[in-house]
Amino acid sequence: MIAQLKKKKWTHYAIWFIFPAFLLYTAFVIIPTLSSVYLSFTSWDGLSSNIKYIGLDNFIEIINSPRVHNALKNTLIFAFSLVILENVLALLLAILVDQVRWFRNFFRSIFYFPVLMSGIIMGFIWMIIMNYNFGVLNQLLDMTGLGFLKADWLGNPDFALIAIILSTVWKAAGYYMVIYLAGLQGIPQELHEAASIDGANRWQQFRSITFPLLAGAMTVCVMLSMIGSLKIFDQIAVMTDGGPGFATETLTYIIYKVGFGELRQGFGTALSMVLFLLTLVISLVQIKVLRKREVQM
Amino acid sequence: MAKKSLLQIVSVILSLTVVLTACGGNNGNNTAAPSNNTGTTDNPTDAPKKDVSFTLAYATGDPATKQAIETTIDAFTDKNPHVKIVNYSETTSASYLDWLKTKDAVGQFPDLVEMRDTKVFVDAGKLIELPEDLRGLFSILPEYAGKVYNAPLTGTAPQGIIYSKKAYTDAGVTELPKTYDEFLAIQDKLAATGISPIVVGGKDIFHMGFWTNFFFINEVYSKDPDWNSKRTAKTASFTDAGMVQAVTDYKDLFSKYVDKGWLSTADNQTASILVSGKAAQLFSGPWMFGQIAEADPSFEFGFYAIPDRSGNVNINQLPNLAGWSLSAEGAKDPDKVEAIKAFITFFFQPEQYGPYLATVNGIPTTSAEVTYETGEQMKEVMRLVGDASANKSLGLANWYGENAIPPQFRNWYYKLLQEMVLKNGDVTEYMKKADAEYDSNVKANQQ
Repeated sequence: MIAQLKKKKWTHYAIWFIFPAFLLYTAFVIIPTLSSVYLSFTSWDGLSSNIKYIGLDNFIEIINSPRVHNALKNTLIFAFSLVILENVLALLLAILVDQVRWFRNFFRSIFYFPVLMSGIIMGFIWMIIMNYNFGVLNQLLDMTGLGFLKADWLGNPDFALIAIILSTVWKAAGYYMVIYLAGLQGIPQELHEAASIDGANRWQQFRSITFPLLAGAMTVCVMLSMIGSLKIFDQIAVMTDGGPGFATETLTYIIYKVGFGELRQGFGTALSMVLFLLTLVISLVQIKVLRKREVQM
Repeated sequence: MAKKSLLQIVSVILSLTVVLTACGGNNGNNTAAPSNNTGTTDNPTDAPKKDVSFTLAYATGDPATKQAIETTIDAFTDKNPHVKIVNYSETTSASYLDWLKTKDAVGQFPDLVEMRDTKVFVDAGKLIELPEDLRGLFSILPEYAGKVYNAPLTGTAPQGIIYSKKAYTDAGVTELPKTYDEFLAIQDKLAATGISPIVVGGKDIFHMGFWTNFFFINEVYSKDPDWNSKRTAKTASFTDAGMVQAVTDYKDLFSKYVDKGWLSTADNQTASILVSGKAAQLFSGPWMFGQIAEADPSFEFGFYAIPDRSGNVNINQLPNLAGWSLSAEGAKDPDKVEAIKAFITFFFQPEQYGPYLATVNGIPTTSAEVTYETGEQMKEVMRLVGDASANKSLGLANWYGENAIPPQFRNWYYKLLQEMVLKNGDVTEYMKKADAEYDSNVKANQQ
């Protein structure tokens, strides 16, 4: 009886502790989110107080718009390329850093350093490096007698997408490296010792011990990198502004452009609903697939 | 199982949050910027004596332009210590509309604003008409729907070729072109010397309008100034002969004579490329003269308007809807209005306006005569402005009233042209896409 009363009292206090955070979360997240759902069914221009309900017109336009189809295609290319490249590179870096004997913290810091930069600053740095006329990359090619390889890296539709993907991998891999490193360091050394005694080589140990036991870290990393990749914006805005032509436009980029630049907040919000559903579906599928192979220690 | 469900719920909330939070929240109820105004008065003549504050914003552009406006603001506040100007200006022309919309979304729409998209903000009820007693200051006052909203900072500046005199000499060009075909012959001569004939700042999408407008004015607007309204009414098409000719000329020029790095070159890099000798010419306006001179004071350059195939000169020079505008929210406070009117009057006084025009290489809009020093290039600009034989027109997105295009169409169209050049696309096929997009935009805006 006393225990029940104590529990009730504690629950009562807990509600008051949670209440301020819940209030703020409601004001700054839940209400704007719900208002976004409403705005996606309007033709609001983002400026006037006249908000007109237009039913499903925005969504019908999304289905029929070649520009949106192109942006969706680019978004998926970005997302899957980034998830694969970021995770492969991060895992490799984590294994290297885990095994290195000297300067471990130094390498850890060096690989993590790009994560600390904002996407905007990183975008400017790579934009300067890859500029056709003044960029370091083309100047290096000229200086090393490889001038025939010079290209307009960000102005050529064949290279622009790849350039953004590679620069984003460079920036993000260090973050996932830290998660993988934590996972690696959580694997008991005895398992590797036992496998060595049984005659397993390094690759076999990696395939049968390290990789399965990293499944938890991989679920987190793949989900975070997928969500991050689906909403990639800073690098594109700075490095190519969605160009050349429409070559690097993604869903987040056109959400911003149509919402703020083209005065179609309603349509932009409808696009954000589509992006939300896309993110949700992909994330749920990922979780379902990846959690199956997780191993509990 | 419970753990799995929790993870799913968390992922739903996380996804919803990251995707949607940036898109909502503004219901259009903007509040005025904070003011230290001590109160209002029924008698506006008392206002200048009271402490008053108003917010101001303009597209900062190049450092010299920024300095010119800042100097005027400082001079005004020195003479009027009771007026405090809170200067919000922090962005260049490339993203000015986006920035203004963001300011509006956070309730900081400036009381006095350099307006470049008048129609958009008037339609949204954000601007008021220019006060009657200021209108006498100007010889040019563009109207939207029969009303005046702008105190024009400068007249519309015609665009033309800014060329390196050395490059022309090296290529053996001794005479400026009298027709468009002669202009193309000069491009061949320049290309033969190994220099890029033309630099274009294609990374900044607004820059793409320079050449687009040149060809459109030559082939379409000089013959039919109401083409845009006809396109809106579907009685004209982007597949019309004149428009196809304009876009074909555009494509040919960009394919043959434009610097290879044009799509990753920003507008503010064009002056450096020109003075460094990597390119021989830039198609732009007089606002570039100061930047070029600053990049290399010893660089010798000239300016001319490119004639069309018949030898006629068609320039982008009709007044457009731009200039200082008063916000509807700020205008609710009579003290602010008086202070803003005092500032505008001060800004356009010859003592301030002359140095401003000299810095930005601007064309005066005031009734009062303004005298200022200009270089030889600006003299050519002024000659063109005064040349009755030059056909004056406006660019694709500069028309207003019935001839206004859907605001979202401009950038999309410039990108379409970029793609067409890159993919060596068929002009007529691309123009069919333009027709479809235009109609879709018109329909969307009617909702």
